[in-house]
Amino acid sequence: MPRTPHPSLLPPSPFAGGLALLAALLLLVPAGLRAQDVEERFPGVSLGITYDGRAAQTLAIQPFSGPEALASTGRRAEAIVSRDLRYSNQFQVVDSLPSSLARADESVDYAVWDQLGADLLVTGRMERGTGGQAVLMVELHDIVYREVVDRGRFPVPDPDSAEFRMAVHLASDAVVEWATGEPGIAATRIVFVRRMEDGSQDLWVVDSDGENLRRMHRQSAAEGGHPIATSPVWAPDGRRVAFVSYRSGLPRIYELDLDSGEERMVPSPRTGDYITPTYTPDGETLTFAITGGGRSGLFSYNIRQDCCFRNLTEGRHEDLSPTWSPDGRRLAFNSNRLGVGAPQVYVMDRDGGRPELLSPFRYDRPGYYTSPDWSPRGDRVAYHGRVERRGEHQILVSELGRGNRVARLTSEGVNEDPSWAPDGRHLVFVGRRNWGRGLFIVDAATGQTRTLVSGMDVRYPSWSPSFQTILAEDR
Amino acid sequence: MHYRRLLVVIAVLGAVTLAACRRDAPPPPAPPVEQEDPGPDLDSLRAWEDSVQRAAEAAAEAERMAQLQAEARATLEEMVFFEYDESRITPQAEQVLRQKVAILEASPQVRLRLEGHTDERGSGEYNQALGSRRAESVREFFVQMGVDANRFETTSYGEERPLVNRSDEEAWAQNRRVEFVITAGADAINPPSD
Repeated sequence: MPRTPHPSLLPPSPFAGGLALLAALLLLVPAGLRAQDVEERFPGVSLGITYDGRAAQTLAIQPFSGPEALASTGRRAEAIVSRDLRYSNQFQVVDSLPSSLARADESVDYAVWDQLGADLLVTGRMERGTGGQAVLMVELHDIVYREVVDRGRFPVPDPDSAEFRMAVHLASDAVVEWATGEPGIAATRIVFVRRMEDGSQDLWVVDSDGENLRRMHRQSAAEGGHPIATSPVWAPDGRRVAFVSYRSGLPRIYELDLDSGEERMVPSPRTGDYITPTYTPDGETLTFAITGGGRSGLFSYNIRQDCCFRNLTEGRHEDLSPTWSPDGRRLAFNSNRLGVGAPQVYVMDRDGGRPELLSPFRYDRPGYYTSPDWSPRGDRVAYHGRVERRGEHQILVSELGRGNRVARLTSEGVNEDPSWAPDGRHLVFVGRRNWGRGLFIVDAATGQTRTLVSGMDVRYPSWSPSFQTILAEDR
Repeated sequence: MHYRRLLVVIAVLGAVTLAACRRDAPPPPAPPVEQEDPGPDLDSLRAWEDSVQRAAEAAAEAERMAQLQAEARATLEEMVFFEYDESRITPQAEQVLRQKVAILEASPQVRLRLEGHTDERGSGEYNQALGSRRAESVREFFVQMGVDANRFETTSYGEERPLVNRSDEEAWAQNRRVEFVITAGADAINPPSD
């Protein structure tokens, strides 16, 4: 089905042709690095990215229509949808087309779009719904089969309100799902830690398209404490965020309720540092590490019932950064049980047992692999790592059950702390470049990378679940 | 005899003058009772001089002690530093820790919080564990030297609180450290007994 789109319609794109694509892929490999070198430096790591061989479909966006009073709202919605669909990395998006391409009677001229080289077409129309609220009607057309794939109506609030963008993102994600059967990620947010000049670290949040950057939570420190937060993580219901704070002077785990703004601390009956929290997939339980005192381990605490510490691992080594498989049966975590200075990523059954090594350990070159995050699809675990003692960290992904094959997703600068998007395809991570730190998003399928946040000292990103499901529960 | 007459006149004048004075003047004070002078009280003088000297000595001693206590406190709070990605006690750190042990032995009420820190390299979360290990190494050193383990609590800030906010070798070397916070007995710090 993939065809060469009409050249006049396409902006210059790395996907414009096979050769350009190949050239782009080669650019992702550091200069002078040959396949053999990669094998030498990253045993078991395949060269560069694993590229999804399917050519992306060409998706055209017909200028949104509607009554004159809603024209500006429609234009803003169209701009958001266009960028969302581009950021999905699932299509070659063709937008900003002349409005003459939209017919007055709202019918679609498949022949014209076919001639223009589109595989898919999105049409949008702003309407006044009952009660006067603006509603965005969206249709996805298959140009080849000349039919409507699916359609939906999406109520949108006033375009100047805080909820407008998220309401339009829901439409974008519906289009992605209609076209690919996979969830979109436009209606998501990323929470992270921002360090200010005075050394304080608060939780900040940004929409997946880089808009709406704002402080989510301000630390207030007790005497002897410090306004420093680390390691935020979204609850699966998207309504809570757990994080570590040093506000009391000792690192403890807190949960912030995003609806009420209320916070509570996970009790600390055992001495030690309470760090690296994560939720079980049902959102009932927090799993975290307690380190210090010569014995460390992974523990669980039922945050819903506010009870019941459970010990998952314990030893003289440190186990930390736990992450659950989406079925809740296994967890991956980081451990230095093979030796200090050479942390590895392990996978263990929920009920205990011997943890299995996941990262590409080799006896004489143990490497350094930390901060695992289990993909919501369940098939992969992302982490960052390096082989040389003083080497730079890069984002790696281990495929489970396929000989634990490892792919490397980054090569420029230093890259750490990956977190999966709910589509199990995109990852957000902290990148350090010669110009400073930023949050980046990489598409594990194509290797395409974009900057999410830059120009500030950022750490520990965590990608939210989709607000498509969160907001649907509200209705 | 002229002289005699003159004497009489003077005597009379004097008596008249005296009489006149007596009329207006207050009664004379009682004549002092003549006693035998016992001489200076050497004992109390000595005691007074001694106490002044003792006070001066005590003040000097207090100042010296305060100085020693301040020095002892500074020694207790002196940071120790670590090699890259290491929690082993370096020889330089060991020297500092041995001085702390002598003070801790002389100051049984003092308790310390050992705060581990790392440089910014490596994973942030893993660095929390590395800082924790550094603090634990220090505690183990103290315990091996015979100091009660319960006098210490350990925690780690990982890479979250750099001492020097730069990205170079010099800054990293200063950021890889354990800090010492006195959590009890700050007013009962004694210098090491010789």
